[in-house]
Amino acid sequence: MEKLNRRAFLRSTLGLTGTAALWPSTRVLGANDKIVVGVMGLGGRGTYLAQKFAERPEVEIAYLCDPNTRYFARVREAVEEEQDRSPKVVQDFRKVLDDKNVDVLINATPDHWHALGTILACQAGKDVYVEKPLAHNIWEGRKMVEAARKYKRVVQTGMQTRSAPYAHKAREYIASGKLGSVYLVRVYNMMQHPRQAKAADGPVPEGFDYDLWCGPAPKRPYNPSRAWLNQFDYSCGPIAGDAVHQFDMARFLIGDPAYPSAVSQTGAIRSLVDGRDMPDTQMALYEYDGLTMTLDAALWTPYLKKIPAGVRDSDQFPDWPFCSTKVEVLGTEGFMYFGRHGGGWQAYDRNGELVHSQCGRQGDKDHQDNFIQCVRTRDKPTCDVEIGHLSVLPFHLANISYRVGNQRLQFDGATESVTNCDEANRYLKREYRPEWTVPENV
Amino acid sequence: MTKQRRLRHAVLGVALAGVCCSGLQARWLPTDDVKVRIESTELGGPKIVIEYDLKDPNISPQSPAYVFLRYSKDFGDNWQWLPTDALRGNGFDIVTKPGRKEVVWWGTDQTSVADLGQVEVRVRAIAMATVPAGRFVMKSLPGGGRDESNKAPPDANVPLYYIAKYETTIAMYADYLNEVGGQGAGWNSRMAKADRCGIVQENDHTYRVAPGREDYPITYVSWYDAMGFLQWCGLRLPTEAEWEKAVRGGLYLDGDQTRKHPNPLPERRYPWGDDAPNEGGVHRCNFDGPDDGFERLAPVGSFRRFAGPSGVCDLAGNVAEWTLDWYTTSYHVGLDGFRMVRGGSWMAVPEGCDAVTGATQLPLKESSIMGFRGVRRPTAGP
Repeated sequence: MEKLNRRAFLRSTLGLTGTAALWPSTRVLGANDKIVVGVMGLGGRGTYLAQKFAERPEVEIAYLCDPNTRYFARVREAVEEEQDRSPKVVQDFRKVLDDKNVDVLINATPDHWHALGTILACQAGKDVYVEKPLAHNIWEGRKMVEAARKYKRVVQTGMQTRSAPYAHKAREYIASGKLGSVYLVRVYNMMQHPRQAKAADGPVPEGFDYDLWCGPAPKRPYNPSRAWLNQFDYSCGPIAGDAVHQFDMARFLIGDPAYPSAVSQTGAIRSLVDGRDMPDTQMALYEYDGLTMTLDAALWTPYLKKIPAGVRDSDQFPDWPFCSTKVEVLGTEGFMYFGRHGGGWQAYDRNGELVHSQCGRQGDKDHQDNFIQCVRTRDKPTCDVEIGHLSVLPFHLANISYRVGNQRLQFDGATESVTNCDEANRYLKREYRPEWTVPENV
Repeated sequence: MTKQRRLRHAVLGVALAGVCCSGLQARWLPTDDVKVRIESTELGGPKIVIEYDLKDPNISPQSPAYVFLRYSKDFGDNWQWLPTDALRGNGFDIVTKPGRKEVVWWGTDQTSVADLGQVEVRVRAIAMATVPAGRFVMKSLPGGGRDESNKAPPDANVPLYYIAKYETTIAMYADYLNEVGGQGAGWNSRMAKADRCGIVQENDHTYRVAPGREDYPITYVSWYDAMGFLQWCGLRLPTEAEWEKAVRGGLYLDGDQTRKHPNPLPERRYPWGDDAPNEGGVHRCNFDGPDDGFERLAPVGSFRRFAGPSGVCDLAGNVAEWTLDWYTTSYHVGLDGFRMVRGGSWMAVPEGCDAVTGATQLPLKESSIMGFRGVRRPTAGP
């Protein structure tokens, strides 16, 4: 791909001439200044985040942004209920970046927009709260890290369990050696997903800027039934999209190992044969330095349950054998169950006796608190962009293995590339549409 | 019960035995001259006969009334549903003609009534529209295209049903609260906002409607609040398929059995046809902005010229409406998932008021842009 310098890149992506010089500089926040936020992506998660940040007295939601105007009303109403000023609603997020009064971009778009939205925001001097999974592919995840560092931006990844106090207690417990030496960590993500509906391609609905929605991804004919989550063009997949929370916890609990040196993976579409191109069944084995991590994931296991609402934020524990979102930590002296969603954790000794229990609460508010605090202090947030990158990278490797016939892949962290399969390296990065390209040099 | 309260209930017993709403079609339909008498049966037990006038001349098989009755045996302290399987006569459930109605209540519940002076009966009626059985063009993806429990195909056949002509109003909901609201169930403080709703809770836990807000649609109701109101009435929320068929009509507007009246626009985008809500400077529903005459909510029926083919008003705009259906990308028992909301609202872009646009909301959400209406399927005949 032709390299673009920043000025040329901005021109190409903004469709404007001479715009680069107009990027606003970072606003200097006073201690009592409200943090002004724009929200990009108004689906379910974007609506939730807009409402949660609007509830904070130190935040003003100034923009709500989505290519689909049909999403405006739901989230605008939710924000207006929480703050005095009505937010502006726009289709094109570049209007948010153009506003020098905006401090923060919340990026809750589909996966294929995470990188470019975040990089452009960093270039425009905005801090970013970006939803997981951090990036659509390994290469652009690294570019997001580079952009955050180059422009000195706070970029928090939306993996909120990292901010939950019970997770920190679990990490301290393991670090104290009570489980002995930990050599094996198992991550589970056993879901129940429906089949995609089937419908013919059709006209793009009025009020939906489909070209903008596609952005860096291919512009395929519009189809109302296409679930972007199930397509490689737009997504890391429904497994990565959810399991990355548990995998991030697994990494956190054992001290954040950086890169696996190899992945063995087997994936298939077993049950949900509905036109998707992503596996509904995936088992992966990662070789980290001195440690093996496994992923058990499927989308057709209704008897395995996410932690029920009544258990979350309570002093109860999940029914561990049937918990679909757990992590198991196996040491030479003991064993730990750890649950997402405030499920808490329980540790057992070498005789299988329960020796420690810690109930939990969900980390959403703590995570948002941490981000807002870092916007003011300029510290690195709890789930900095690089953590987001390293936690989703194993899923990219598993998906690449799937795409090259379930081959075992050896990985070099220094170059972030596969060393034993040239074909696999094709999938480290995507093809970008010319007008929406993530540049080599951010 | 205090003397003052007994007196109030005695007065209410007269006034509310037929809940009269001064002929405003958008609230309860007017019922009048309610008379209750007790008669002996040949088996020795009593039967109670309730008579009332249902005065709306527009009631017809196409635009029937749904009538439900509730009673109290303790001077109005507690009210109960009068179950339709204990009733006979021509004045309950779906009623297709106006006039004097008689309902005979003869079941187990009334046998304990020894003194008619104890009993108060309330008769309420809702304007409905009949949607005949038959196929229609379902263009949205059920449950947002995610919910396997809802498999209505695009060419779905929906049995006959009745759907409320108007969204449930603030006055109707306040009436419900005053009967069952007790310590605040079904009410939240945001409902007091007079510009977006308008029900005020008094210190004694009664409820009053802010002046002039009676005919506006109720807002700030969760999915559970909506279900609570509708169960109190004997109705339920529409499914997405029922809601969409009310917008578009079936392939035949008189149903598949007769097939005399083909639907001229069976794939219409809006209840009135394919014209955009603001096309040609004509405003056909209440969407975002003041150009349609309403900065925020509009009284129900304000755009009745632009009703759907079965005569259902305000399906487009004003308030988006809760449906029975749910939405999920990953569903698990025990997690209370999203529900589907249809129809656009006073805050929506014009194209967002069409027949296929849906939004998801958690069932506990209380919003100033969401309300509801009820649906009834025919009860099985004897």
